[in-house]
Amino acid sequence: MRVLLRVLAPLLGIALAALGVLVVLEVVAAWVQPGRARGLLVPWPDWRRTLETVTWAQPPVAGIAIGVAVAGLLLMLVGLLARRPEIPLTGPAPGITVTTSPRVLARFVGRRVRGTDDIAGASVTASRRRVTVTAQAWNDAGPELRDTVRARVDELLDDLPLRTKPRVIVTVQERRGPR
Amino acid sequence: MTTPTTPTTPTTDGTGREAGSKALGRQARAALARSTAGDRWLAILLGLVLFAAGALVALLSYGVFGTGRASRPLLDPMIVDALRAAPDLFRGIAVAVGVLLVIVGLAWAAHSVRPEARPDLVLRSDPDTAIVVSSNAAAEALSGQATAIPGVLRARARMVGADDAPAVRVTLWLADDADVREVLARLDDEVLATARTSLGIGRLPVAVRLELDHSPTAPRVS
Repeated sequence: MRVLLRVLAPLLGIALAALGVLVVLEVVAAWVQPGRARGLLVPWPDWRRTLETVTWAQPPVAGIAIGVAVAGLLLMLVGLLARRPEIPLTGPAPGITVTTSPRVLARFVGRRVRGTDDIAGASVTASRRRVTVTAQAWNDAGPELRDTVRARVDELLDDLPLRTKPRVIVTVQERRGPR
Repeated sequence: MTTPTTPTTPTTDGTGREAGSKALGRQARAALARSTAGDRWLAILLGLVLFAAGALVALLSYGVFGTGRASRPLLDPMIVDALRAAPDLFRGIAVAVGVLLVIVGLAWAAHSVRPEARPDLVLRSDPDTAIVVSSNAAAEALSGQATAIPGVLRARARMVGADDAPAVRVTLWLADDADVREVLARLDDEVLATARTSLGIGRLPVAVRLELDHSPTAPRVS
């Protein structure tokens, strides 16, 4: 979303400016030459004739309006979702801000989980509030494995100077087949 | 010798320092990444205007505001007559709106394509002499020292912020087994403290971004 916003922002700015230039040019042209039959750059007398005949209830109007509303909604969503996902850490001094990305936290956790005995593999997603671990256990692993994994993840999260400690959710799936 | 102001001095000092450290923290947070707040607000505002206009026109078109109104033409003769009553006023308004659109649009486009500033560190600026550490030199010195911290595989530093309030953005690529607390403490004690004393700057907001280095993966079969 951030990349999309970075691309969209200058284009929208230029589009707004171009619209403004057209409005100013056409209005000033019509003002200084009242008898002009054609527009300077846009054929607005033709548009005007069309607008005078089409009513609000005719089919294309509602369709175009819905299209504009959807475009506006998407633009709003881009603006709202273009935040940087980051996880704040406690800095060693007041003038130092430390952050990391959810991806990095997930890799830290994943490494710790995969280092546990009886774990064949794991997938981890992390956010500021929640760390979700889906671990795959060998089929001869005991039922206490889930607690072991959780304890190891908790230990890791305590070691990291996280501003808020995320909730840990661990799911252990049994993996079939020989080790 | 005591003066009447003595008892109040520590409190004013304290609040001053607190406000200073808050401002320092704010600058450090701002140095984390280039801000997209302006872009986001304009996108949200423009989206809201488009959405509201589109929704209202659609409702009007479906006859929610009355079928009589919906069957009138888009360019209503009533409105045309109102515009004709005071043509110069409405032309003036149209030109003003157009000029406003041009200004906002160009300012937005220019702001969003402008590269992020890299301010130099001004150590002393007298009318005849100025001592300036270029942003590249300061950043390279910092990143070089940060790489020497155990657990840090790579480091990159960059000066950010305004010319009169520079800040540093440091990105550290950590080893998988790095002790994060230890790395941060050493960054503050060794690298940043050295930078502050050697450059003689009292306040230097710092934003640290931690990354994990893509270390060569362990063999899957051993």
